[in-house]
Amino acid sequence: MDNMEYIDDFFKGLPTDEQKQQFEQRIINDISFAEEVAFYVSATGAIKEQLTQEKKMQFRRIYKEQQKVIPITKQPVKKIVRYLAAASLVATVLLSTWLLSGDKTTPAQLANQYIQQNFQTLNVTMSGRQDSLQSGLILFNSGNLKDALVRFENIIKKDPANYLANKYAGIISLRLEYYDKALEYFTVMEADTTLFSNHGKFYKAVTLLKRNENGDKESAKMLLIEVKEHEMEGSKKAAEWLKVLNK
Amino acid sequence: MTFENNPPIFSTDEELIKSLQQNNAHKRRAEEELFNRYAYFIKDGMNRYSLPEEEAFDAYSDTILQTIDNINRNLFEKRSSLKTYLYRIFNNKCVDLIRKKTTNKNSIHQTSSISDMLLMIADSAKTVIQQLIEKTDLDILKNKMKELGENCRNLLAMFADGYNDKEIAALMEYKTADVVKTSRLRCLDKLRQLYNNKKD
Repeated sequence: MDNMEYIDDFFKGLPTDEQKQQFEQRIINDISFAEEVAFYVSATGAIKEQLTQEKKMQFRRIYKEQQKVIPITKQPVKKIVRYLAAASLVATVLLSTWLLSGDKTTPAQLANQYIQQNFQTLNVTMSGRQDSLQSGLILFNSGNLKDALVRFENIIKKDPANYLANKYAGIISLRLEYYDKALEYFTVMEADTTLFSNHGKFYKAVTLLKRNENGDKESAKMLLIEVKEHEMEGSKKAAEWLKVLNK
Repeated sequence: MTFENNPPIFSTDEELIKSLQQNNAHKRRAEEELFNRYAYFIKDGMNRYSLPEEEAFDAYSDTILQTIDNINRNLFEKRSSLKTYLYRIFNNKCVDLIRKKTTNKNSIHQTSSISDMLLMIADSAKTVIQQLIEKTDLDILKNKMKELGENCRNLLAMFADGYNDKEIAALMEYKTADVVKTSRLRCLDKLRQLYNNKKD
């Protein structure tokens, strides 16, 4: 442990020439010390590599979600002219199709778009207080969704009506496609009438649209109508979606 | 603590770069924002270089990770816009893929972090360390990381991501930077024991 601290200080700091020489001499003369240095360097590299892989996995998730919502259409400038004729033809066909059959936006697409825009990362404004909610959010934002869910579920075990814990647990369950769980958490959230702002009903509608099983669209529409008529949180989006869903 | 669902808007390169350099709760969001902003390069790589989507995606995500690393190490000198800078790196990576120069795309970052550390040591000592590193079984080491507790893994990951002990203390439930340092080194020591036991 003492050697590990010495090695850590060396690589983190700005050692003087004398300190460097001492460090290098120990590597050459003391094989067990050299092994500890090699382990420190290898482990640091391996941890960084693992972190890189996790970030790439998160990028892949984002990319796949994007593809579900809006397939990438941006083209390099040089190729625009080449595709212009084809694009106008496609546009004509699409316009005719749209005019004949109406907008084909599905309930799941609406939900995907909302989830993509609002539930990819959750923002924490720091106060001096450190708590389990905050560490759960840090886990969520670093892509550890399952660990974050466990963290919030532990809070709920101790305090079942905790509004924020239910809200975050619901959002994570939705991201993980545990729809039944998400609906349970949002129902608890919705039941909290002490709050001026409560997204519970609207989030339930998002969950139902995303699940999109038999009857889900109709149930979601009923919730959205309530949200809109009572001007609850999400009422603007609810009005927008109702127009699309009623087409 | 307050909580917002709407992401902060990084409307300019400057704002995005600043957020990427700050080790706080917004950092991961800034990284994802950078990824999102130019994700259409992937399609460009597919069209221009006839790359399969998977390879174009790898080239693009490696580009983003390298750019973040360069920004954090102040290697991005702002001589061009962020988009131009990214596009240049992305093109180079696509060309590398085509020329089959990139034999193991995923090892780029590990190689750079190890070689960066070894730059601090003179050649005679460096050779000793390099020989020992070559004997390290990285697969076993990575497997052993999974046996560390969640706190240890988070602690080591945040440190590897460039957060210092003081910043980790502020973000996680630690009282001081010294406590973080002691805990972090204990985790590293535990990993070493796990690795050595497995080897034996």
